[in-house]
Amino acid sequence: MSKPNEPDLRLRSVAQSTYECLRCAFCFDLSWLGPVNLCPSYAWGAFESYGARGRMTIARAILEGELAYDESLIPRVFACTECRACADHCFKYIDTNKVYTALRQDLAARGLIPPQLAAAVDGLAESHNLYGEPHANRQAWLKHRERLDKPARVAFFVGCTPAYVRRTMAGDAYAALEASGLDFTVLGDEWCCGHPFLAAGQRERAAEVMRHNVDTLTRLGVERVVFDCPGCMRAFREDAPEVLGEPLPFAAVHITEELARQVQEGRLRFDVFQSGVVVTYHDPCTLGRGLGVYDAPRAIIEAMPGMRLAEMPRHKRDAYCCGAGSFVRYDYPGLVEKTGVERFREIEATGAQVALTTCPACLTQFQHIHGKLQSRVQVMDLVALVNRIGRWR
Amino acid sequence: MAELIERLRSICGPEHVSDALADRMCYRRDCGPTPGGVPGYIVRPESTDEIVALVKLANEVGKPLFLWGRATTFVDAGVKEGCIVLALDLMNRILKIDVENQVVITEPGAIWHAVDSELGKLGLEMTVPGGGGMFSCTVGGTVAFNAVPHGISEYGVTGNHVVALEVVLPDGAVIRTGSWANADAPFPIERGANGPDLAGLFIGACGTLGIITQVALRIRRIPECERFLFYAFDTIDQCVDAVAGIQHQNGATFLIGLFGGPPPTGVGGKAFLQIIIRDHEARAAERMQICRAVCESFAGRPQNSEGTRRYWTEHMYSWLRNTPPDAYYGSRPYYCPEVAGFVPTQALKQAIPLVQQYIANNAEFARVGMRVKGMDVYFSPNAAFLWVDTLYPEMDREAWRVGLRVRAEISELLFGRWMSPGGIVAGIAPYIMPRLGPTYELMKRLKAALDPRNILNPGVLGLGLPADSQLLEQSR
Ligand SMILES: Cc1cc2nc3c(=O)[nH]c(=O)nc-3n(C[C@H](O)[C@H](O)[C@H](O)COP(=O)(O)OP(=O)(O)OC[C@H]3O[C@@H](n4cnc5c(N)ncnc54)[C@H](O)[C@@H]3O)c2cc1C
Repeated sequence: MSKPNEPDLRLRSVAQSTYECLRCAFCFDLSWLGPVNLCPSYAWGAFESYGARGRMTIARAILEGELAYDESLIPRVFACTECRACADHCFKYIDTNKVYTALRQDLAARGLIPPQLAAAVDGLAESHNLYGEPHANRQAWLKHRERLDKPARVAFFVGCTPAYVRRTMAGDAYAALEASGLDFTVLGDEWCCGHPFLAAGQRERAAEVMRHNVDTLTRLGVERVVFDCPGCMRAFREDAPEVLGEPLPFAAVHITEELARQVQEGRLRFDVFQSGVVVTYHDPCTLGRGLGVYDAPRAIIEAMPGMRLAEMPRHKRDAYCCGAGSFVRYDYPGLVEKTGVERFREIEATGAQVALTTCPACLTQFQHIHGKLQSRVQVMDLVALVNRIGRWR
Repeated sequence: MAELIERLRSICGPEHVSDALADRMCYRRDCGPTPGGVPGYIVRPESTDEIVALVKLANEVGKPLFLWGRATTFVDAGVKEGCIVLALDLMNRILKIDVENQVVITEPGAIWHAVDSELGKLGLEMTVPGGGGMFSCTVGGTVAFNAVPHGISEYGVTGNHVVALEVVLPDGAVIRTGSWANADAPFPIERGANGPDLAGLFIGACGTLGIITQVALRIRRIPECERFLFYAFDTIDQCVDAVAGIQHQNGATFLIGLFGGPPPTGVGGKAFLQIIIRDHEARAAERMQICRAVCESFAGRPQNSEGTRRYWTEHMYSWLRNTPPDAYYGSRPYYCPEVAGFVPTQALKQAIPLVQQYIANNAEFARVGMRVKGMDVYFSPNAAFLWVDTLYPEMDREAWRVGLRVRAEISELLFGRWMSPGGIVAGIAPYIMPRLGPTYELMKRLKAALDPRNILNPGVLGLGLPADSQLLEQSR
């Protein structure tokens, strides 16, 4: 058990945010939509300590020496998908994730990390990917190698999940960028973005991989990086400047922003996918609340002829998490399952035939839940659909 | 107490009981300034039957229960060290929307605004929209606290809209009130039936006399239109006189006066009146006319009412001051030792300057960096509900002490003249209950009769304290 008032508490750097909490409980429900959950962790963990108000209370109790870091805090801090719904609905505009990050880092510094996540990030430090696969195989999905490490103003950052386990996603994003006529590069020595290290509270390890990726991209003269994975994009755009203590030397955009721009400029049009098909779109938390990208995916969908978008009650800023954020699947499968099923039921209730999303973690999660529920709703990556019916000029 | 936790688990299921310190720390305080005691157990019952079993167990082992809706009150909840917290969040269902009889029945943990949102899908609403905490507060807590709602100028307090309650008494008996008490009546329709108004006994009692397990509230069709006005005045008296004129003619659904704190952005004046009217078109036009005529006859200057509209549609106070919520609430580690209560409308002409003078003469304010957030008034149909909201920097222990002293002194100042608080809970009970004389004695007798073992929310409202204890001493 740690001593409460020990001097190296990272929590101290966010003490002000902790004390800003009014305890108003606006972080529990989306009551303007009806009796619906806002926070997946609270809905699963059931006691307030699993939700934002509880975590702020815990942080404050630690700062005041009433509570000490111990095993009991591990699930209460780490069983959080970092969906940011609490921060986005906070009455006091508190960046709750800042407090959670400090809690995670303090716990990690005391060796208090959920065991499976700890093992995964240890492997990551060796192989530079979360799946324990050989680094040499990272870009094995790539059929033609001519873009590898080619100096260019634009880069496509693939990310671990598309590179190793959702290779069609990597292929689809690559093909869409290529079809659009963009001159871009792909890193031969791409490392994990660092997001899993941050989720595990390991800031120094995150700094090391971020430094590697930023330097490698800079050496190729890159000015704009296109991401398929919102988690990677956020690690670059929001976390890296803070962790590395310097501004990012290039712009970071999501592939849906890139494609939406092409739609707007009239360079990308679509054939009919299925006439009269009803689709719904799940906002990945990191892309929506985390990066503010809500409109680009919708602009693409709306440009697809013969397609009707049926929104879920919880969408855009109010979107409910798919349950797979922040690597909770390693240690908290119950949270992943419960949240995923709740969200999938909401997808089904729209009457849509197709559920679109644009994040490797969400897609993987929904495909799993789809199988579990034997659902009639088809799950698709939006970029894959673009690739299938897109016509570039 | 290994045996007690096993018995709690056998009633509610192991997954709904915790004695982990990390959990217990999270159920000790409301939005008020003092931390409260750390409870011994947190229990999440799922049904009235489970609550009955828990109440019987608490009586048997002599352990107090504390009722936890969402703990969003501002005046110190009064959780007792080592007690069993009954968190009612799992009992959150909307049981029946009875369109025919214009009643909605919910469990106590249903979130107030969530109920309204569901009704809204049918073109209906509760006949009272809840207070500023509506997005997170529970139906049970709001009724037990008798919250002062938005729209109070026309609708009155929350309790007025209760048709009937189901309540578990401190001995475990389950009763229903009003017409619902008749076992042969299929659903609740009228509060004033079958004898005395027993619902009234539990409204505002803050869980000291029984646990509300079902609530029947009145509903109606959403009014046809909403209209907004905003006036600035050069004196408090002009504004108060204008309000009185509007109150006498039932001119507005909601009148909010701003008499202190930061003035609305971009508007000059000493006092400000926000006016909200909800009605059908023709009557709304008439009421607008009444409000305009009265305000202008007291030299009120009409202002852009977009902030008023946003306040009403978003229920965010900041818009009362023409300020977006992020600019108003962001980056402020402040707490609010709120003092609030009903005063006669005309008494505001003395009460506001009195508080202003108290603040101006109090050197502590500047020394510890306190601020005045507002001296705002929600006008009821015939009176004024004044909130004196001061803020102290929460990270500073000395400021916290000053904050509590300010709460005590403003309470003395106002409760000693005109003011009677609405919801009391525990924090301000010491300043008001002793003034109630025989009425407080009656409350104590009722408490002793219904809850002889003192297991429900002891200390809340100054009830259920040991016979020889001095209420004010207890709070110090
Ligand atoms: C931003 C904000 C704005 C607010 N604005 C207003 C306002 O305009 N007007 C206003 O009046 N208040 C306001 N409040 C305070 C608060 O939201 C309300 O009073 C609210 O109604 C309390 O509901 P709750 O569920 O949090 O109750 P709690 O705080 O949980 O409970 C209140 C009391 O009732 C007891 N209790 C809880 N449930 C039951 C039950 N089922 N049976 C019996 N007793 C029970 C509790 O033990 C406690 O004593 C505001 C709060 C916030 C955060």
